[in-house]
Amino acid sequence: MARKINFLQAINEAMAEEMRRDPKVFVMGEDVHVGVFGQTAGLVKEFGDERILNTPIAENAITGVAMGSAMNGMRPVLELMFLDFAMLAMDLICNQMAQWRYITGGQYPVPVTVRTALGGGIRMGYGHSQCLESQFVQTPGLILVEPSTPYDAKGLLKSAIRSDDPVVFFEHKKLIFGGIEGEVPDEEYTIPFGEAVVRKPGKDVTLVAFGFMVYEALTAARELAGQGIDVEVIDPRTIVPLDKDTIFESLEKTGRLVTVEEGRIRGGLGAEIAALACSEYFSLLKAPVQRVAAPMVPIPGSAVLEDLYLPNKDAIIRAVKRAM
Amino acid sequence: MPLSNEKLLELYRKMLMVRSMEELHDKLLKEGKIHLMGHFGTGQEAVAIGVTGPLRKQDILFGTHRGVGEFIGKGMSPKHIWLEYLGKKAGLCKGKATLHLADRENNIPGVVSSLGSDFSMAVGTALAAKMQKLDQVTLYFVGEGTCNQADAHPSMNMAALWNLPVVFAVCNNQLCEMTHMGECYTTPDVSPRAACYGIPTEIVDGQDVEIVYEATAKAVEHARSGKGPYLVECKTFRMAAHYSGDPGGYVDPEELEKWAKRDPIDLCCKKLLETKVLTAGEDKKTREAVAAEAREAFETAFSSPDPSVKDLFEDVYSQKGGR
Repeated sequence: MARKINFLQAINEAMAEEMRRDPKVFVMGEDVHVGVFGQTAGLVKEFGDERILNTPIAENAITGVAMGSAMNGMRPVLELMFLDFAMLAMDLICNQMAQWRYITGGQYPVPVTVRTALGGGIRMGYGHSQCLESQFVQTPGLILVEPSTPYDAKGLLKSAIRSDDPVVFFEHKKLIFGGIEGEVPDEEYTIPFGEAVVRKPGKDVTLVAFGFMVYEALTAARELAGQGIDVEVIDPRTIVPLDKDTIFESLEKTGRLVTVEEGRIRGGLGAEIAALACSEYFSLLKAPVQRVAAPMVPIPGSAVLEDLYLPNKDAIIRAVKRAM
Repeated sequence: MPLSNEKLLELYRKMLMVRSMEELHDKLLKEGKIHLMGHFGTGQEAVAIGVTGPLRKQDILFGTHRGVGEFIGKGMSPKHIWLEYLGKKAGLCKGKATLHLADRENNIPGVVSSLGSDFSMAVGTALAAKMQKLDQVTLYFVGEGTCNQADAHPSMNMAALWNLPVVFAVCNNQLCEMTHMGECYTTPDVSPRAACYGIPTEIVDGQDVEIVYEATAKAVEHARSGKGPYLVECKTFRMAAHYSGDPGGYVDPEELEKWAKRDPIDLCCKKLLETKVLTAGEDKKTREAVAAEAREAFETAFSSPDPSVKDLFEDVYSQKGGR
């Protein structure tokens, strides 16, 4: 049996189910009683204010508290409200919790799940809207998850909470606000890391898209189909570990690769995939790799400028045509 | 209440071990037998041994880069310290930590490089202890220099806000790396910063191991009994360089002379001799035995194998996790 829920409910359900299952799991972050976007709505009623812990405004310090609690038997789900603010916590995420298992020779795993909202289009400008996943890509020891559907959000968040490794879980605001709906089974399920999904099969071009861009890619694919171009859309679901097999099996079929992300182009997610294609799968390429990404500018507050900044289906269509 | 003779003797022996280990480390550096540079706590031994003295095995200790003092105090073996400092495969951290050594059995979670990054971790371990109703205190051993770091205040705030079992043991050695405390602080004491959160504090003479022990025992009992955090500030002076071979020239020789007159090991020795707990002959034997133990532990560790290329890639992720 299955039922339809939205992206927000998926995240909420995952946390609630994991907390019912394991008394070590707890939620902490700023405003988590109220839930600024609603991901934690209602949880304090069921679990109480010791397990749903409101924190002062101190991103780096609360991340350290999460890390310390995880080193001493708990499994925290830490909410850093906006990914932009998670930059204050980079020391604790990238220098410390990611590397602590290795540095202590495996003595101290750090099972923290960091949930954070990313993405633009909400007209809030440079510090509330960024997609900064690639800032974490260079750090060994992190798992990076970016779901695009309620099914994936729920299954991957449950896996993240159960994982003994630190996970950064990216939630796109448009998926939260947009009421994106999808089916989830009634039964218990989790999704393993490192498994991509082919959202739409095709034979002409491999399109790898992350997070909200999956929807822009699918829209572009529908338009391109009308023009006789058959695009395959792949949703990696996890950035690290990346499902290279699915991506490059597709490339073997199509010979043409386009990456799509909302983050900025330099050193972005597409850059890593393009480098892999060039160095390990060069013979499969019929055309240069195309990257669709935001330009190297801060996100402006003006709605007109923000719409120029954000990658969209038209930019994807242009990129696909360049690859043909 | 004064410590028993046995207890004081135990603390004295531990201070001797710390001094022996660090003097040996300095010698080994000059002989090229160890790569890890020394961050010695010469002159601070009473603080390190005094604050860790009241801790039980199940209590958690966050120590520092200048950590031999507090790690010996917490019960870590000289052999394990050497194995990890030498980067050996048999080290508790498989040689990957060296300076940042961790010892789970003794509840030492590790050492950070960027000072103060662990301030909030100590609040976190204490939070977990409270949530799980553990009989466990976290002691965060920290220098006054690090108390200027970003997370000092949010950490103290949260410790007090949530009434957590954490003791902040401040080793105020007057030197913030290579800068005198007076250039980093508007006040001579760190304690007022904790007091503003309602955290009880005590400032003590860090040269007397008994005084440090008693003050910390009171703080640990406060935290253990559910009354929340406590800050003990021990005034001392760092007689050693920030790191062995640092540029130097930032300490007034007169200040060094003044503090040398109150060397913590000399003070304790004097007490033990005066109260006839030790004779001069027994003291000499003890010092020799301790130095030999430190040396033997090093020799054993030195001959232990180094890690290899396969070890380089191990432990980045858990077995169940990503790749």
